[in-house]
Amino acid sequence: METCIDWFGDGSLVVVDLSLACCAVESEFAVPEGAPRLSAVPEGAQVVAVISGTIAAPVADLVRTRIDSLGERTHVVAFGACACAGGPYWDSSAIVPGTGRLTHVDHLIPGCPPPPSALAEHVERLRDGGGEVT
Amino acid sequence: MNNDDRTTPGAPTPDAATGHGSIRLIEERCTSCMICVRECPTWCITIEAHSEVLPDEQGHHPSRQRVRTVHVLDEFTIDWALCMYCGICIEECPFDALEWAGPHVLGAADLVGLVHDRHALAEAGSR
Ligand code: SF4
Ligand code: SF4
Ligand code: SF4
Repeated sequence: METCIDWFGDGSLVVVDLSLACCAVESEFAVPEGAPRLSAVPEGAQVVAVISGTIAAPVADLVRTRIDSLGERTHVVAFGACACAGGPYWDSSAIVPGTGRLTHVDHLIPGCPPPPSALAEHVERLRDGGGEVT
Repeated sequence: MNNDDRTTPGAPTPDAATGHGSIRLIEERCTSCMICVRECPTWCITIEAHSEVLPDEQGHHPSRQRVRTVHVLDEFTIDWALCMYCGICIEECPFDALEWAGPHVLGAADLVGLVHDRHALAEAGSR
């Protein structure tokens, strides 16, 4: 479902992008060119989970389990209207209306979809702020 | 590291290309008619307004039994956590009180932070 991206290529910060729907095209486009794809989180790395796309009800448990597996200190980003609050489908019983229904969320990025730069800039601020940025 | 420019050197970013980053409310044009609220596909606009009787003879005229009132806007919000940037509100507003403006709405730490009030919307694009 997702890849583990060594965003700056130095093992300092990894992004786990849970690509669920159309927003994932934009979040993928934000990834720095040549950023290594890892199979596991390196020791000591800051972990950022990005939820990009609609959370369909049948995958809700999978999404929650995966985020939980990344540890309590994971910085969770809801990327796009669907991940923030359910987007155009907010009143549908087939979806979960927002990542906040499943886990803690540290940062919400609006848009349907948002521009890739919104994610790239946030990840850079996280690195610069030592993870203290919301 | 902004990879929006990975395509063609010098190509505009998506924001700049579409100009659809945020929506500005031009309050003095808004009549609180609620058309945008009803047309928005995601119901992410809210309006609060009250009626006021027009001053003097405009409101109370001896030739009319009924008083004439006008809607006065009290609050106007857009919930950016739900907005799909479709522009229907802008298209449908009969008074051109909404327009595309400025860079993409900034992210926030919680859902409340993505609800922009009339003051924030009036300033969209000027930051
Ligand atoms: S927010 Fe819009 S672009 Fe993103 S997944 Fe939902 S419908 Fe698709
Ligand atoms: S752009 Fe579309 S979704 Fe956003 S407030 Fe206007 S009508 Fe609603
Ligand atoms: S459609 Fe235009 S005039 Fe009517 S409430 Fe909306 S912004 Fe105001």
